[in-house]
Amino acid sequence: MHSIAELHSFSLALPESPEDRDPTRPYMVVGLGHEEHALILARRCILVKSVYEFYGQGSTYDELHVSTRINETKWARYIPETSFRFIVTAHNHKIPQSRQRAVIESFAYMNLLGKIEMKNPQIVLGCFEEYTNRNGLVRSKHEGDGHFRQVYFGRLLEEGSARQLVGKFDVKKRVYYGNTSMEAEISLLMANQTLAAPGKLVYDPFMGTGSMAYTTSHFGALVFGSDIDGRQMRGKGTPPGVIHAARQYGTESRILDLCTFDVTRNPWRCGSLFDAIVTDPPYGVRAGAKRLGRKKELSEEKLKQMLELRNSPRTDDQPYFPPTKPYELSHLAVDLVLLARHLLKPGGRLVFFLPTVTDEYEELDVQSMLCEGMEIIANSLQDFGSWGRRLVTIRKTTNRKYERPSFEQETPAGITHIPAHKDFREKYFQGFKKEDETDDGNTSIKYK
Amino acid sequence: MVRLITHNLLACHFRDVQIELREAEFNPEFLKGFMPKLEWKALVDAARQLGDTTLPLEVPEMLDDEFLKNLHHVLLEIHVEEGVMSCPNCKHDYPILNGIPNMLLAEHEIG
Repeated sequence: MHSIAELHSFSLALPESPEDRDPTRPYMVVGLGHEEHALILARRCILVKSVYEFYGQGSTYDELHVSTRINETKWARYIPETSFRFIVTAHNHKIPQSRQRAVIESFAYMNLLGKIEMKNPQIVLGCFEEYTNRNGLVRSKHEGDGHFRQVYFGRLLEEGSARQLVGKFDVKKRVYYGNTSMEAEISLLMANQTLAAPGKLVYDPFMGTGSMAYTTSHFGALVFGSDIDGRQMRGKGTPPGVIHAARQYGTESRILDLCTFDVTRNPWRCGSLFDAIVTDPPYGVRAGAKRLGRKKELSEEKLKQMLELRNSPRTDDQPYFPPTKPYELSHLAVDLVLLARHLLKPGGRLVFFLPTVTDEYEELDVQSMLCEGMEIIANSLQDFGSWGRRLVTIRKTTNRKYERPSFEQETPAGITHIPAHKDFREKYFQGFKKEDETDDGNTSIKYK
Repeated sequence: MVRLITHNLLACHFRDVQIELREAEFNPEFLKGFMPKLEWKALVDAARQLGDTTLPLEVPEMLDDEFLKNLHHVLLEIHVEEGVMSCPNCKHDYPILNGIPNMLLAEHEIG
């Protein structure tokens, strides 16, 4: 929500108490200056189901009615002749019809004189009861009815329309995808985090099958993509897979270009180019994380042979595949932040996923990736049990020009903190067991 | 692809090209904002090499509509689908296949 507010230059005020701003709860009261802003949120925020003008709340209906009466100036204008309809609904619960009717009747003090219209009322008044999650408990349909945590009441401003984008970008319906393609909902969230909009330039340095490109270009941005493995972007045939899929979404002309290169040996002529860098870097699990170079140094003799072969002309049907070596994740992460600082315009954002091991993760893991002039502005967890991945947004806060990063082959000295995601690949294939644990169970979550 | 905007940001030269023209959305604000990043001479040379002479040799003082339309066409609507990009710095030729250049460095060029 903050990203969309920033994109459209309006401010939003979250509730004061931390439990009221808990994003896992279904309803949140947010302060906005203008009704227009609420409509923008409904149209662009993927996770917003609907936006209502707030009239009242309470832990009981008595409290709710007191709260609603206090806000009478907000709804008084609808009293004389506005047609209306009530909906009474709950989260994690089903309210019996009879009680729904009783709830509606309890609002009689509002004294609405307009007609009741079920089909096309001028206003919709919604009453929402929030129940805590009782998954896994056997219970009868209406058990616990009336024992809600909070109840909220207000007037519908707009149903969330961004939600349907999740269907539009469903990977299974896409004409080109691979087993590492990012799911639609997440790539939409990431696109919003980048503040993608017409006129913006966005870069994905680990483009793969292009999942981020489709959603960022959908919101109007122009996108560059690169990858060390050109086959992921090309697919088979003409046009290249990523272009074929972009054509499906109508954004082909916004995919600026696709290039095959190693991001640590990138050919960008200068820095401060992009408004955002968005990517899902290879964790080394399904897709090998690679960079150019050799694992083992060649002997002098072999080196000479290789150079001779290289310098003699090759025929066209022998494409050259330069040797690659593994790119360890914590090293890649630090490099990515350095690269972003160089390539982003000041104020630009780096949005990416970082896998992490649940038991070992500390905030410091992400903090220690940073370099001067880069600041974390968001860090949310997608929990898979023994591991998870964090969607991290980093903003470039500096105007200073730094040297182009050289991507040292060795781990730079002075790094003392070992983050949970170091050697993630090895940990993943060992089931995240620590050395002294016995083999008493398997991880139940499968990485799709 | 390989549009001229990309070519300009990678500082290479084109050779043996096959091009296609494709429409793109005109966004004058984007173009104006991007001007400072362009290597103007390289852009004009590349455009002329590909047969487009609409851009002036020097950056004009006023960025009027006609200029921006020409710039838009050159930067975004000319696509090099096949050919070679050669880099004067590392003296390497990068093949362009199906609009995607392969810019992986050879082994002896690293380090």
